[in-house]
Amino acid sequence: MLDKPASALRIRERLIESERLMEETGCYDGITELQLRNQDPLKFETLHTKLRAYCVSAREMARRISASPGVREVGEMVVAIYTPEGDAIALSNGIMVHVHTMSRFIKWMIRNGYEENPCIRDGDIFANNDAFIGTVQVPDVMDVVPIFHSGRLVGWAGAVCHELEAGGITPGGDVALAQERFTEGLFVCAEKVGENDEIRRDYVIRCERNLRMPIYWVLDEKAKVASCIDMRESVKALIDEIGLDYWMQVSKEFIEEGRRAQLARTRQLTVPGIYRGHTFYGHVTKGKPGYQPLGDPDWLYNIPIEMEITTDGKIIMDFEGTQPWGYHSMNCTPAGMDGGMFVTLTQHMNFEGLVNDGAWMATELKLPHGTWTNPDNEMVATATSWALLLPAYGVFQRLLSRAFVGRGFVEEAFVGQVNSPMIEMGGTSQYGKLFGMAHFECAAAGSGALAIKDGLDTAYVGWNPESDMGNIEIWEQNMPMVYIGRSIVANSGGAGKYRGGCSFVSTWLVSKTDHLRLVTSEHSSRVFDNGGMCGGYPAPTCQKHRAVRDSNIFELAEKRAPLAHHTGTNPHRSELELRLQGEHVTMEGPYITAPHKTGDVFTHSYNGGGGYGDVLERDPIKTAADVENGYLTREAAEGIFGIMLDEDEDGYPVANLETTKRHRAEMRARRLAKARPVSEWIAAERGRVEKADFAPEVKKMYASAIKLSSHFTREFSDFWNVDAKSIFMPGAKP
Amino acid sequence: MTSYSKEVIADLVAGTLPWPQTRRVMSAYKDDDRFFKYVAVLQDRVGWKDPILLPVSDHLFICQSGDERVTRCECGHSFGDYRKNWKLKASIIVRNTEETLREIYPNSDIPDPQWMEIREFICPQCGTMHEVEAAAPGYPIVHDFQPDLEGFYREWLGKPL
Repeated sequence: MLDKPASALRIRERLIESERLMEETGCYDGITELQLRNQDPLKFETLHTKLRAYCVSAREMARRISASPGVREVGEMVVAIYTPEGDAIALSNGIMVHVHTMSRFIKWMIRNGYEENPCIRDGDIFANNDAFIGTVQVPDVMDVVPIFHSGRLVGWAGAVCHELEAGGITPGGDVALAQERFTEGLFVCAEKVGENDEIRRDYVIRCERNLRMPIYWVLDEKAKVASCIDMRESVKALIDEIGLDYWMQVSKEFIEEGRRAQLARTRQLTVPGIYRGHTFYGHVTKGKPGYQPLGDPDWLYNIPIEMEITTDGKIIMDFEGTQPWGYHSMNCTPAGMDGGMFVTLTQHMNFEGLVNDGAWMATELKLPHGTWTNPDNEMVATATSWALLLPAYGVFQRLLSRAFVGRGFVEEAFVGQVNSPMIEMGGTSQYGKLFGMAHFECAAAGSGALAIKDGLDTAYVGWNPESDMGNIEIWEQNMPMVYIGRSIVANSGGAGKYRGGCSFVSTWLVSKTDHLRLVTSEHSSRVFDNGGMCGGYPAPTCQKHRAVRDSNIFELAEKRAPLAHHTGTNPHRSELELRLQGEHVTMEGPYITAPHKTGDVFTHSYNGGGGYGDVLERDPIKTAADVENGYLTREAAEGIFGIMLDEDEDGYPVANLETTKRHRAEMRARRLAKARPVSEWIAAERGRVEKADFAPEVKKMYASAIKLSSHFTREFSDFWNVDAKSIFMPGAKP
Repeated sequence: MTSYSKEVIADLVAGTLPWPQTRRVMSAYKDDDRFFKYVAVLQDRVGWKDPILLPVSDHLFICQSGDERVTRCECGHSFGDYRKNWKLKASIIVRNTEETLREIYPNSDIPDPQWMEIREFICPQCGTMHEVEAAAPGYPIVHDFQPDLEGFYREWLGKPL
């Protein structure tokens, strides 16, 4: 039964030793000097680049094995190589959020005695999608294989794919309706799923019998295992070349170098100090089918973040004052929070590619126990934790960007990521078969603006830096809906000197099915969950969905009459209502209804990014081009930016610089006339605070934050000069 | 070591550096002498003589004003001691009705004013909008940034303040 590794130290003891050395020396595994790097820097860098190449190549190969459009088309995959203790040495491109979550998974197995049972042997395959062990959400399924050389455990190769179907209470991967762990879908909890490089048949059977669309999951498993084996063999060949002792030392030096590089980069790009920001997220489910009455149906979360950059270059993020976990799918585990930090850092500060777990070691997250960031109950659901993670790390990006602006690296300042509303579906496919899928065109939102230019239109999400919405034809092969439109949403970027990137809206005709379930998630209701910066506005977010049941679209098509291809720019009456007859539905919050059928029309839009700088400084010429191309409406150009447009002889908009100047001067004067001193506003607002004259959800938010955080209570009380506890928790002990 | 001329930095900050060149700046190793060139560019831009110590927003700067260090708008208006939240000395417009929110979001979904308001922080002298907060009603105003100015100069820049 026992198959102890041949090393003098057991793996668990080695892990504890490594952590002790880090604690004592402040350096990874006690590596206080980069000896091999100093001896031969060229060899050192060449080896690190080789490892990176192994990862990139293994991921690309694996994508060709996958059947999932999420992996093949959008690239929802990452692979990495780890030390025996489970620290990432090198990683591929892709969904880098999971590099550190996989590290947690490996360490969890080591800490839990996997050496003794179920044993760790050459050729074994371990899988996990349990966020409390080490992943973000149930569809993020990871596989790792140990790397043995000369009978000794010398590392791990790991791979993660985001699955498009997880077998939960609602179809798709991000199981929107899950309110507890037990409805999230198929869990694989740090399980040995294969031996001798082969996935066990009983595991495949379990997948086939518990998923709506097992082909995605099962072929992704094969893709991941193939990539792991490919990396493992490459590492073994490398060790043959450089020697085992050299490998064991150099792999640790890579990580220590990564840690030092992150600290140095922080000192190079930022300014030490305390940075603060916040965002909010609203959830509205009252009266919607399927939700169990376990908590308040409608709620508002605050997500305050305080970031400290110390003079030694360490970044510390503190979520003190945020909300408790809840009976919804948006909770996050510390593993997920780590992942969010890692993927943001790799984009903003470690863009040279030679990044590893060392970067993460140069940061610290303070996640208050009992909040959605660190639940004190492991039965909570985390299936859509990105709903809160993305807004939170969007704040982090703005805080970092404040530092870049201070230091002068304005080209790196970026207003940040936004939420990516998901659409999940299932039922009977256009081929008459059972199906389920998450539609991943959401991987192409608008980005926040930069401090020197507009944000990217339909080309960025925080969780996958290689943003890609995928081709329409590929999605149509995988779902019983056809596109009748995919359009830029005008004004969907936050306004500013530089506007946020715009989002897009898709419009579909349900086709060749009598049972299509559609569910949406990860879009905030009633509040914007992003922000602007330096005078820019937040972007408007997708809050409502529109559908037409039993539409007359086939009759219209027969008559060659105009169809609706998008929702239009009238917030009170959509293009669907203008052009189509049928039962019109407009739904706030998550879209969850009875199944759709052929002839129904459905729309889903995504989010744009926040703006940067004062709107009155926006370039009129650029704005005219934006209006011409549908990124801004003429109404917005004039009303928000003060830019007056004429038309040229062909009817195209042209900025009138003279009238714009006058109009802007008037707007600025109106702004000054309308504004009042903040001190006056605080004095007036204080009365409202004292009476707690707020919506029930707002009062509940304050009460929850006060209950969990004495720091929040003190800050609130000091700011308004009130006793926050007695206002929001009357009857509670002072 | 990477280094750019003051003119290149000026164009970069103004957003007028041609994109191919900007792209190269983004991709290249960072220039270690950026900060003081950046400050020199900004010092040329402002109409006052107080030395800029640290930019904190697009048009807000911490500067040395006699014996004091204050947060100053590009127009010259002072918001007082840099350690205090400049927003408390600013002017404000709060959008907390459907009508006023629609002015900024004419074609989109807007926040529910019962759940969220938009706060615009404005220089009382020139009307520049320095910051926008989107917050629940009653949420305390955020103190965005408290730099460790002494530590920054002494330990990172290696120069006295």
